[in-house]
Amino acid sequence: MRTKLSKKLLLISITWLVVTLASGPANAANWLMLQGTEPAGSADPVRVWGFVQVQYQKDYSDPNPAGGYIPPKLIQPNWDSQSAFNVNRARIGARGVAMPLDSKINYFLLLEMGNNGITEPGGSFAKMTDASMTFNHLKGARIRAGLFKYPGSEEGLQAIHVFDYINFTWATAQMMLERFPNRDYSPNIPAQPLPPEVSLNGFDDGVGAFRDVGVQLFDTFKVGESWELAYAGMIGNGNGLNFSDNNSNKNYYLYATAEKLFGGGRGPRREGLKFFAWYQDGKRTADLTNDDLHNPEDYDRERYGVGVKFLRNGWRATAEYMKGKGMIWQAPHNPSFGIGPGQGNPNAPGNGAFAKANGWYVEGGYRFAGTKWELDARYDVYNRLDGDRFEIKFKRTTLGVQYFFNPRVRIAFNYEFRSADAVNFPSGAGPNAQVGGIDNRLGVQITGIWSQ
Amino acid sequence: MKKRVRVYLLCGLAALLAALVTPASMAQEEKPFAEQKFVLQISDMDPDKQTLVLNVASNIIKYYGPDKADVEIVAFGPGLRLLFAENSNAGRIDGLTQSGVRFAACGNTIAKMTQTLGNEPPLNEHSTVVPGGIVRIKDLTDQGFLLVKP
Repeated sequence: MRTKLSKKLLLISITWLVVTLASGPANAANWLMLQGTEPAGSADPVRVWGFVQVQYQKDYSDPNPAGGYIPPKLIQPNWDSQSAFNVNRARIGARGVAMPLDSKINYFLLLEMGNNGITEPGGSFAKMTDASMTFNHLKGARIRAGLFKYPGSEEGLQAIHVFDYINFTWATAQMMLERFPNRDYSPNIPAQPLPPEVSLNGFDDGVGAFRDVGVQLFDTFKVGESWELAYAGMIGNGNGLNFSDNNSNKNYYLYATAEKLFGGGRGPRREGLKFFAWYQDGKRTADLTNDDLHNPEDYDRERYGVGVKFLRNGWRATAEYMKGKGMIWQAPHNPSFGIGPGQGNPNAPGNGAFAKANGWYVEGGYRFAGTKWELDARYDVYNRLDGDRFEIKFKRTTLGVQYFFNPRVRIAFNYEFRSADAVNFPSGAGPNAQVGGIDNRLGVQITGIWSQ
Repeated sequence: MKKRVRVYLLCGLAALLAALVTPASMAQEEKPFAEQKFVLQISDMDPDKQTLVLNVASNIIKYYGPDKADVEIVAFGPGLRLLFAENSNAGRIDGLTQSGVRFAACGNTIAKMTQTLGNEPPLNEHSTVVPGGIVRIKDLTDQGFLLVKP
């Protein structure tokens, strides 16, 4: 027994030694390195940067047959019209090295002042989305602490200001972009006329924005001439952008990538073939029972996925599959995660507390060489309440065009062909009475990035 | 015979000592056929300046050829960060060194940084410590090097 343990410890030590010796500065950064670390010896003490996104969206969905609209048929985050201009993101940040002579300690701050799920509900003027420090003292094990993006799905982890589409995929928006239950059970809000008589957002808190407060261990390693491996493990509160925890449970995140580098591009546009996988697990404390009592319970929330991303010579292709168990969010107007008989009863069909979901997408794009134009296309599917009587399948095809005025300013046009179907109900019945009318959407968005 | 051997040994030792203690004279010995001589100064903290000075060195070598151009980059003050061992431009410095570019690190700045940090900052293996960056620049300009501060 002792011999077996010694051998295991020896193997772990040798593996760690080999990995550490193989590690070196990565040629160019991946998302783990881009967000929260600075280039050694050559970073500013303070670099102020930011970006603005201004958009217009128009939704062509039909009202419910009985009248009224539900959020998927309206423009986020206010859910009060089918067409709107919006300053959906306006962020200002500062990043750099704490001391110019010591590159080992980096910091990253970011403040959101746009109108989106982070600042709505509540109409916050501004909300801190990132406040972290990274310690690069241990070779092979950098440490990042504070509020920052947890390592996970590609759409969530990547920087939003270089995202090639206006809206997230269904799976990302519904399964990954977390909403946190209210302190007490909150009943569903019925479909509303336009203008709405009451807000269709029943949540007290804003979205989690793919972020958490915690500590992350991570690093990137060069292997051979052109391969790069990266890993991350994080433990956090599991309470989104809130600085404190609302329970004693913690959320765990694991992430790994292997990328074949092609040598071209840099930063977010670095060319390579990247394989990635991620996993997250935690518990959420929520009162989801309609019984006039404050009796919260702990519910498991598990998410995982795998994917691949390719970028070379102007061509881009991505595919990702995601799966979730527990705390499957339904919609802003269903703040206690239940529809139908599941409303107020976590154990009934139609409640997301113990439900499953899965989704996937494939997307691609081509930047025409020597021009400022790019074409993009994406197909995504999301099966919400998978296997449940109230399962709904969401589908969308997005066609996009981007024009780059310069590397930092671009305009994007998206047209989305959207549909949703409650697979166990005939047309117009059950949830189809509401989701059956979900239809196409047009979007235009200007993104401007600036930096010192 | 013994006297001849002793003379040869002494000459060899003298040559070795000269090589070690006279960096100023190394400039001409390193590139004996160089027609164009440049000393590039970096004394700024700005990371863009780091990139710029390396780009200028690279462009000079590319235009004139590694044998026809003698280039030395002198780093002092906040610019010494370029020659930190961990600097993200280490790969470029390595490549330029192979083309004959030299890198001089100011000893006065190192002493000051050591005082601030509590330990001497590790330097890039290709850098040569000179007593003073400004003095090194003066020596090189006296030898006909053109001073360029990108």
